[in-house]
Amino acid sequence: MEADRLLIRVAGGDHMAFEELYALVSGPVFGLVKRVVRDPAQSEEVAQEVLLELWRSAARFDPGRGSALSWILTLAHRRAVDRVRSARAAGEREQREALRAGTPAFDHVAEEVEAGLEREWVRRCLDRLTALQRESVTLAYYDGYTYREVAERLSLPLGTVKTRMRDGLTRLRECLGGVA
Amino acid sequence: MSLLDRLRGRADLHSLAAPYALDALEGNERARFEKHLAGCERCAADVRALSEDAVRLAWSTAAPAPAALRDRVLTAVRTTPQEPARARENRLPPHVWGTQPPPARSRAPRPRPLFVPFATATAAAALVVAALFAVQANRSEQQLAAERDRAREIAHVLAAPDARAATGRDAEGRTIGVIASASEGRAVVTLNGYDDLPGDRVHQLWLMRPQAQPLSLGLLDDDTPFVANGLDRAATSLAVTVEPDGGSAQPTTQPVVQLALESVGFGE
Ligand SMILES: [Zn+2]
Repeated sequence: MEADRLLIRVAGGDHMAFEELYALVSGPVFGLVKRVVRDPAQSEEVAQEVLLELWRSAARFDPGRGSALSWILTLAHRRAVDRVRSARAAGEREQREALRAGTPAFDHVAEEVEAGLEREWVRRCLDRLTALQRESVTLAYYDGYTYREVAERLSLPLGTVKTRMRDGLTRLRECLGGVA
Repeated sequence: MSLLDRLRGRADLHSLAAPYALDALEGNERARFEKHLAGCERCAADVRALSEDAVRLAWSTAAPAPAALRDRVLTAVRTTPQEPARARENRLPPHVWGTQPPPARSRAPRPRPLFVPFATATAAAALVVAALFAVQANRSEQQLAAERDRAREIAHVLAAPDARAATGRDAEGRTIGVIASASEGRAVVTLNGYDDLPGDRVHQLWLMRPQAQPLSLGLLDDDTPFVANGLDRAATSLAVTVEPDGGSAQPTTQPVVQLALESVGFGE
């Protein structure tokens, strides 16, 4: 894919390639960070860190081990989750609880205004999970909760949550076009 | 600690691959699991596969980044030094590919890579994402209305209970992605990497059927998902050819890429 070629050129210090890469991945990176972090100003900060890290660490990308887009989004997700956790630890818990009260995580997917194709497809596949699989996966991925917090919120044993997460991810794989 | 306890602790660690792939471990546990990952090949392979799955969840979240962000990042980049290529130490999580060699690599050469290439496993959805990102850049009211119409058509295909996805790839790594419903006789088709056409040439999509001439489904635009209608169940594959501007009644060149439809429910 295009991002792979660009990232390799970026690793060689190519500023033009970075601008192109930015055009290609800033939307996915910013959108993902914002989904997890929620606060717009903080989301911008985290997205900026991630995008700069792409420039700095492009040489770490190994095309033989996965796609660039996947590498980039995995990095962005990790940074976003770290940020939302420290924000929570810093005392935003109440505010967040109010925001979340009675809102199943899945609705966050549905609340997006724009009906993009990929969004519809992911949503459709999430819809095919069992409720517990879906909630376990989305509370962790979209809301940045640890599996212990997820277990607490869903009143499930830890082992069950771990299994639901695994089953949920595997079933997503099947639905989202696992065929070569 | 008894051996049994140690084994039990290890078994417990094995079960953390999925939460780890979702970034759902808290700091200490994450560190402990990453240490375990370095020595447990089973978990390392597990984490790689599950992380590919987790990242699919990101595809539905894209949103245009604020314009000011672009200025800040591009400005910062001008004064930010890059890490040298060999700096692949353990600073980022191992499942962020490329940040750390796989544990097994230092020991013996493997017959084949542990990874299923992302592009193979998930290309259809990735293509769809790439296609839509491209569309988002600069669009007028008119284009927006057309996109909404297309989005509705596409949503209709996706909503079909039998909708399935598949991907075809040519020798140069360019791809065709399709999400099709045999019951609806419809498919969403995306091309990726075929944007280097001369101005007087177009890509035309054909439906291939046994004992019948190729049926034109329409002209393709590289960065726009295309909705094809009227696919009959006997169809065996989709093919894309390069044709003169405006298209042809029948293909005049060899297909640049072809995709069998069997895996998406056609070809009875
Ligand atoms: Zn293990």
